[in-house]
Amino acid sequence: MVTLRLRVGRGVFIVPPLVVVLLVLIGPVILLSLYSLNLRTNIPFAPTGLSYDNWQDFLRGPGNPFRNRFVYSMEFTLVVSIATTVAAYPLAYYLAFHARRFRYTLLLLLIVPFFTSYLLRVVAWSDVMLNENGVVNQVLWAIGVQPRGVGVGWLLYSNFSIFLVLFYSWIPFVALPIFAVLENMDRSLIEAARDLGAGPLGAFARVTFPLSLPGVISAFVFVLIPTTGEFITPLYVGGPYNQLFGNEIQAFFGNSPNWNYGAVLAISLIAVVLVLTLLFGRFLNTDLREGVATA
Amino acid sequence: MSALWRRLPTLSLAAYYWLFVLFLFVPLFAIVVFAFNASPIPTLPIHALSMQWFTRAFDDAELTGALLRSAAIGAATGLAATALGIMASIGLSARRLRLRAVVVAVILLPLVVPYISLAVGMLIVLQELSLELSLWAVFIGHVVIALPFAVLVVFPRLRSLDPAMVEAARDLGAGEIAAFNLVTLPLLVPSLISSFLICFITSFDEFAIASFLAPPGQPTYPVFLYAGSRTPGLLPELIAIGSLIIVFSIVVVVVAEGGRRYIERRLVGEVEA
Amino acid sequence: MPRPGIDRRTFLAGTAGVFGLGIGGIGLLEACGSTSSVASVSPSPRPPLAQEPGALSILEWGGYEAGGTKAQTSGLQAGTTYTTKYGANGITYTYITNDDQALQKATSAGPFDLMHPCNENTKDYVDRGLVQPWDTSLLPSFSQLNPGLVKAGQVNGKQYMIPWDWGYGSLLYRTDKIDAADATGWELAWNSKYSGKISLWNGASTNFEIAALKLGFPHMDNLSSDQLSQAKAALIQQKPLNKLYWDSEYNQEQPNFQSGTVWVTYAWQDSLVSMTQAGLKAAFLDPSQGRLSWFCGFMLGAKTQNYYHAHEYVESFINHDACAQMTNLFYYGTSNTTVQPSEIKDQTLAAALDLGNPQAITSGKNHLQSWAPNRSALELAWQEVTAS
Repeated sequence: MVTLRLRVGRGVFIVPPLVVVLLVLIGPVILLSLYSLNLRTNIPFAPTGLSYDNWQDFLRGPGNPFRNRFVYSMEFTLVVSIATTVAAYPLAYYLAFHARRFRYTLLLLLIVPFFTSYLLRVVAWSDVMLNENGVVNQVLWAIGVQPRGVGVGWLLYSNFSIFLVLFYSWIPFVALPIFAVLENMDRSLIEAARDLGAGPLGAFARVTFPLSLPGVISAFVFVLIPTTGEFITPLYVGGPYNQLFGNEIQAFFGNSPNWNYGAVLAISLIAVVLVLTLLFGRFLNTDLREGVATA
Repeated sequence: MSALWRRLPTLSLAAYYWLFVLFLFVPLFAIVVFAFNASPIPTLPIHALSMQWFTRAFDDAELTGALLRSAAIGAATGLAATALGIMASIGLSARRLRLRAVVVAVILLPLVVPYISLAVGMLIVLQELSLELSLWAVFIGHVVIALPFAVLVVFPRLRSLDPAMVEAARDLGAGEIAAFNLVTLPLLVPSLISSFLICFITSFDEFAIASFLAPPGQPTYPVFLYAGSRTPGLLPELIAIGSLIIVFSIVVVVVAEGGRRYIERRLVGEVEA
Repeated sequence: MPRPGIDRRTFLAGTAGVFGLGIGGIGLLEACGSTSSVASVSPSPRPPLAQEPGALSILEWGGYEAGGTKAQTSGLQAGTTYTTKYGANGITYTYITNDDQALQKATSAGPFDLMHPCNENTKDYVDRGLVQPWDTSLLPSFSQLNPGLVKAGQVNGKQYMIPWDWGYGSLLYRTDKIDAADATGWELAWNSKYSGKISLWNGASTNFEIAALKLGFPHMDNLSSDQLSQAKAALIQQKPLNKLYWDSEYNQEQPNFQSGTVWVTYAWQDSLVSMTQAGLKAAFLDPSQGRLSWFCGFMLGAKTQNYYHAHEYVESFINHDACAQMTNLFYYGTSNTTVQPSEIKDQTLAAALDLGNPQAITSGKNHLQSWAPNRSALELAWQEVTAS
């Protein structure tokens, strides 16, 4: 049923949110671009003028330390994403296939920590669990694995600590999409495989797992994209050699007045994330594509 | 014996699950326990218990100030982002929307933009406009990053509503707006509450934008937490407050989920878990 | 309407092609500086003190908070005359990690009412329009200040910095852990024998000065690009030996030294005093290449609304009693000449540090940290060091 009075459809309601997002995102991106090309600068009265020097240095300068740190950062992100996804799969599988009756409650149990403050969880690891006299060391001393009073050096301010905290933070979230796919899977397909003679592992390998791949990739992407820009965890639990690319950006704008170079890094990060999103975006199951079929 | 063998997958998976739950909860538990530790250094064994850190935390004007600031910005973000999310959801529910794919991409864009890049970009914007750092800038940044979450929560719910109910209201003489207010909106309430909570948490916990845009002397809680965790004297108070936040957020999530299931059951007649 | 944006753009377009970096800066300063100071400092009479908001926002080094404020935990009493009169609650401190970071903060996180940078930055603060001159007639103790330091705090004849503290920077080391044979000069920080037990300051340009001294360059604040590369390489070489680059003196540098986590740390002489009082056997290195020296002081925010409060605050720091107590606490020199050597408790230490003689910072083997023309290159280079 069409209302004749309304010329403008419901679609017009999208405009205010759209405008807000565009305004807030466009300004920064444009200015970052201008800064990266040295067309504007934050140092009052300093000369400006189109210059590709910073970009050249970052992209092609030999042994550029920021580029090296970027590569390190991406490798780290990949490792964390893969490890988290792999570790979350059995959790989702357990909930979907074995914990029939209480699966939603058990899922809730898994998700609840994710809703407590992320920062507090990081602080818990950096100041209570992993530190010199922290819980982990105390347990190791109590068991006798470590001589009393001597903490394990690499527990904190190391690659291990950053990995652990990121892994810890993402696991609950990552289990969700995998669970969703496994939960909705047509069980009759698996039954059919078993009927045709496949063992439980075979059925899993040939039916369940392949069908769950969209959820797995979705989970992987869910971790990958935010972690490329991660800088909070390394701030708390990372050492001078473990800082990620996000920390470099933060250092440029927090400690050093050289915003022009920092803008190059900030734009590069946005670009990388956008590329990843374009590549993997189809796996992010956000079904906003269809409207509502109402009159 | 063979019964045990058959149940091995379930048992081992269950063990894996419960170990993980333990892993997830131990640090949270540690914070809550150490909040009552009489010693100013969070270490084992705990010799004495005390509530002193709670009282000292609430006496600490800077700490309570930061908490209030974060709560205020969080609540404002929750409201604004949810309101914009409702609008966006209505817009997206139109049958024909120009450039739908592009619009969806833009609305969801803040999900993928790295917060650190957005934060420094906004800092540059303020600088170029000769504006001082302000909590308003933090608020605006938070609304934009929370908006996609609001849309992702509200839109599916809106779309799944039975259109017959709105049609019935219209048939009974209600205008478009009245139909929305009297029929659609109440049905959306559970998702609106979820949206508010998610947006609130996103804002309350956000560090990147707040650390760059909050004025000196007016830190939000995450910014204060970072500075404080570097200061040994402040750590026990932060742990005390942290324990409260952890317990509170767990309670809220559990109650919200329970409440949502209850409302769903009452409204729809089935539990859409 | 953003005033600096339009003016700046016009001027930049006109002058960018004609002037080089340094000359351009001065030329623009003269053309734009007066405009900005007129626009930011109201030409009409200022509101009297009673009508000022009174809440001071101060960019300050940790440990220098006014006595009576909650943040002051190192025992400093300077500022007490201010806080007893106006209360301690209205003062907010934003902390300086190093001078480069402070300048950046003052530019983008301001406006601050008061800033406490060190002398090598005075010119930059003025050039950027961040500060306005003091009215020295409002400072009763001003006449007691050392004329040499006062002159150095002037730009274009106006008093932009009120000097307060001066001292040295060197390596503080454990005499019971470090071989005396190794403690000869700045190269101690490069000694791999003590790997993991060294902690330099996250001091950006200061670390380049240290590297320059270690490498024997004559002008530590004016490095050629080749010298800069060599200094950078030296710092990259030194980096793995550090336990960490400390940001905060009281949260990191002193606790780490005191707990024995590090045995060699970059420090100012007050750490020598604190650590020996804590019972450690420590010494403040006298390097063969010479120590770094500095003097710092208060600068008044260009856009401050607490003009008179700010003056009273500074007066509460530069008066005789405040300065004497500060010297007895930190063993820094002070700009107030009425502080007699006999008022200092540890006469031997005072003599060793030549605290009665502010000219010491530019004499002998001491190298005064001064303005560097290629500051931005130094900062970028430091970023590269920390990133590698």
